Amino acid sequence: MFNQNGLSLDQAPPISVVFRFFLSGSLFGLLAGVLVLLFGTEIFNADTPQALILTHTLTLGAMLSFMFGALFQMLPVIAGVKLTAPTKKAALVQYPFVLGVVLLLSAFETGKAPLFISASVLLGGTILGIAAVMLKNLLALPNHSNSSRGMTVALVSLTLLTLLALYMTGTLSGLWSGAGYSEVKTAHYSFGLFGWIALLIISISFQVIEMFYVTPAYPNFISKSLPMRLFGLLLLGSIGAFFFAQSWFFVDIAIVIFLLCYALMTLRRLSQRKRPIADATVWLWRTGMVLLTLSASATLTTRFYPVASLQAINYIFFAGFALSIVFAMFYKIVPFLTWFHLNAQGYFTAPMMHEVIHPKTAMKHLYIHLATLAAFLVSIYYAPAIYLAGSLLILSFGWMLWQIIHAWELYIHTQKTGEKFEMSMPEAEG
Amino acid sequence: MGISQFMTDEHRACDDHFAAAEQAAVNGDWETAEKEFLAFSNDTLTHFKREEDELFPAFETQTGNTQGPTQVMRYEHEQVKGLIGKLAEALEAQDRDAYLSLCESMMILLQQHNMKEEQMLYAMCERLLPPDLKEETLNKMKQVEL
Repeated sequence: MFNQNGLSLDQAPPISVVFRFFLSGSLFGLLAGVLVLLFGTEIFNADTPQALILTHTLTLGAMLSFMFGALFQMLPVIAGVKLTAPTKKAALVQYPFVLGVVLLLSAFETGKAPLFISASVLLGGTILGIAAVMLKNLLALPNHSNSSRGMTVALVSLTLLTLLALYMTGTLSGLWSGAGYSEVKTAHYSFGLFGWIALLIISISFQVIEMFYVTPAYPNFISKSLPMRLFGLLLLGSIGAFFFAQSWFFVDIAIVIFLLCYALMTLRRLSQRKRPIADATVWLWRTGMVLLTLSASATLTTRFYPVASLQAINYIFFAGFALSIVFAMFYKIVPFLTWFHLNAQGYFTAPMMHEVIHPKTAMKHLYIHLATLAAFLVSIYYAPAIYLAGSLLILSFGWMLWQIIHAWELYIHTQKTGEKFEMSMPEAEG
Repeated sequence: MGISQFMTDEHRACDDHFAAAEQAAVNGDWETAEKEFLAFSNDTLTHFKREEDELFPAFETQTGNTQGPTQVMRYEHEQVKGLIGKLAEALEAQDRDAYLSLCESMMILLQQHNMKEEQMLYAMCERLLPPDLKEETLNKMKQVEL
């Protein structure tokens, strides 16, 4: 409705836009759990196709789905960016994206060129397309906050890592010879883990931690300069690797030190928060930051003492970090969107946030999540525990799936049966 | 101190009262909760009035735009006022669950609103209003009372 200089009437996108991504994210999470049961501890050996398949089910299928959903929710607010026709754009991205992920996983399993090519077209088109739309809006902003600046850098990383991925799938499908494949692969996962996942979480936290939990501001050396420095280091490592074999060794150490500073500062800020309640989301942020600290420390250690089991442990730490934050955002976004839309539509009977997802329900998920992480860690030393870990991963994402379905049913039920008064200003798109 | 800094500081001061009221409600100290909530709602409503009576009209006159961002901000103020009413009811009834649940909604709603003002509207005011008008508006805003 009003779209003057990015200040929009809509504080939230249509609920279906966000929920559809959360739904597909949860389904890929369930798939990841099933794959853990099928593959067993093979997943801890980074060189196996099983590790490759599971990693992409989690990062691409589950995490990227959740992150797209969260970005559709947060961009209008954090960055003042209003995406036009979000429902249409979301649908246009989601179906080819989901199909693309499934095709890519099949390509990893079978190694067939047509699968790699079709997955590349679908994933390249959708990811680069949505990143370009978001970047175009972000770059047009007259005033940047630390968050919007960081998100811009994270989206540039997503673009780069996708282009690098396309180079690799092109190589695997025989389109070109693939010179420098191993350097490209390292750059791809480094940009993926640090430039995209970590940087997006860091950028979002500049707003979420300070404003929603009411904490003192992050110091400038973190909030102003960390995203660009991290990105600069990743570029340095990626390009340097072509000329100097040890380039990543030094770059990794610098990145790890930055991440340690960030994680420890966030833990401190969380302990300084003025809002008293330590709900599941606070504990999930804490869990995530402790895991990031452990992951950074493990990375540092493996650079000097390459121990295979420590690399497997680090895999669990980093995935646990990213998933903890995804879950923390989920438990804020889903109840808020459900309440907000129904309230804005004028329903007296709009459920309160705690009626959409009760804090105790979110707490139970925290326990499931912690148990999942523990089971994965145990399985490194006692292989049969992997079946418990896989089952718990299924339970964890099943829990989220249940919350989405429950919130959606509540939303539809209120719309059908609720009493409402007509507001003077209707919502732009429902 | 400029408009942007003054108004941003007010946002943070309101957050502090809000958090104190929430803490008191958690502890079951309804007397303190009421006191802090009253301070929060008075400060918030005064802040809204400063904007609606002084800042927004100055912005609208300068830009010739009355249907743009200021209109959106006014609408969001109404949403916040609605929630303040519901919070007051829960406080009156000493309904801890309802109060804390509404606090969650309020915090997200209000912070999203504040983010937009701090990043967009105040920044636009700082850029678009001539220096003497900025000073005059700031002084007038400081005089506003409920």
